Amino acid sequence: MNQIVKAKNLSYKINEKKLFQNISFDLNKGEAIHIQGENGSGKTTLLRIICGLTKPSKGDLDISTDAKITFLGHKNALKQYLTIEDNLSLLNLIHHPNLDQFLQKFGLDGCLDLNLASLSFGQQKKIALLRIFLNDSNLLIMDEPCVGLDNQTQNYLSNFINDELKLGKSVLFSSHIDLDINSDKLNLS
Amino acid sequence: MNIFRFEFLKLSRKSRGWLGPILVFVLIMIAYPLTVEVSNLELGQSFFSVLWIATLLVMMLATEDIFLEDYNDGSLEQLSISDGNLSFVIAVKIFIYWMLIGIPISIIGFLFCIGITNSSQNSIYVLPIILVASYIFINVFSFGNALSLTKGSVLGTLVTLPLLLPLLIVLGKVIVAINFGLNYFGFLLLLLGILSIIIFIVPMIISYIIRAHLE
Repeated sequence: MNQIVKAKNLSYKINEKKLFQNISFDLNKGEAIHIQGENGSGKTTLLRIICGLTKPSKGDLDISTDAKITFLGHKNALKQYLTIEDNLSLLNLIHHPNLDQFLQKFGLDGCLDLNLASLSFGQQKKIALLRIFLNDSNLLIMDEPCVGLDNQTQNYLSNFINDELKLGKSVLFSSHIDLDINSDKLNLS
Repeated sequence: MNIFRFEFLKLSRKSRGWLGPILVFVLIMIAYPLTVEVSNLELGQSFFSVLWIATLLVMMLATEDIFLEDYNDGSLEQLSISDGNLSFVIAVKIFIYWMLIGIPISIIGFLFCIGITNSSQNSIYVLPIILVASYIFINVFSFGNALSLTKGSVLGTLVTLPLLLPLLIVLGKVIVAINFGLNYFGFLLLLLGILSIIIFIVPMIISYIIRAHLE
């Protein structure tokens, strides 16, 4: 089956305030959808609904049974009091064969014994992004992945996602920055 | 096995999380004989009340932010999305807390018990009771902290503390049983029975509560 996500008439409201209404889309293998909208339009909520963290107020959502999700949200799921090495262990990435390549790319090689708290926000974001770069999933969901990233890393991320799409993976992301990713647009505003 | 390793790594590297409660327990144990002017016999008699209440308070303190950090940094979101069983992860987390805090305070409590009651035979009977009781306390307080995850730990503690009062009464009866050579093993089995139910049910309930908080 080619379809990974099928959303039909998804709606979400908080205390009778409608965040979004009747959102429908299909996401197939090798496709990406860029969710756009103003602040508070429900981009994060929509991504959380697709991840299964939040239930929609109305509508149907079908996620393929063979979908394996990697999610990068606003929160990095990293521990400030642990070293980079320990954090990578917690993410189950420390023995990944491609880890060194990415650490070198991001200028973080040789820093494994540093405490995460000593890194800048952007560097911490790069560590969190390793979850995406070293994923073993077929559905990547990213909520504002470019926050705190320099232009070089943003371009690197765009190229990486385009390569993943060619491998047949599917991507859903929200971003205020226009990334150079071959994607359809879904506007929530 | 990874889950055990990860949870152990997280707690062991956060020395404030495990060493703080242990030190508080030691302080209470040291302060008790220093702050009351009674005979050694009376000291030994009322020691157990102090021991149970100190264990209760320290477990309450230890579990104060058992889920809060993972909730705030997004780790619980990731666990909830992953294919892994969330209630199993919670059970492991509680076990690691017991291993790093519950077991040391049980041993320390046992040593103070020998020192204050001058009875190593009775103290040996007390050791398994503290081990089981501390595990039950951790489970129940974890439940309370999960309930009030976003509202501060005091609310959860207030809700769960009354649930532990019957257990404190049982613990009091255990000491009577030990002192008079009564049915000690019956009480131990009762506590083990309570624990065997709690270690399965509490993590399952907490996983539902956490999913509700994440929503």
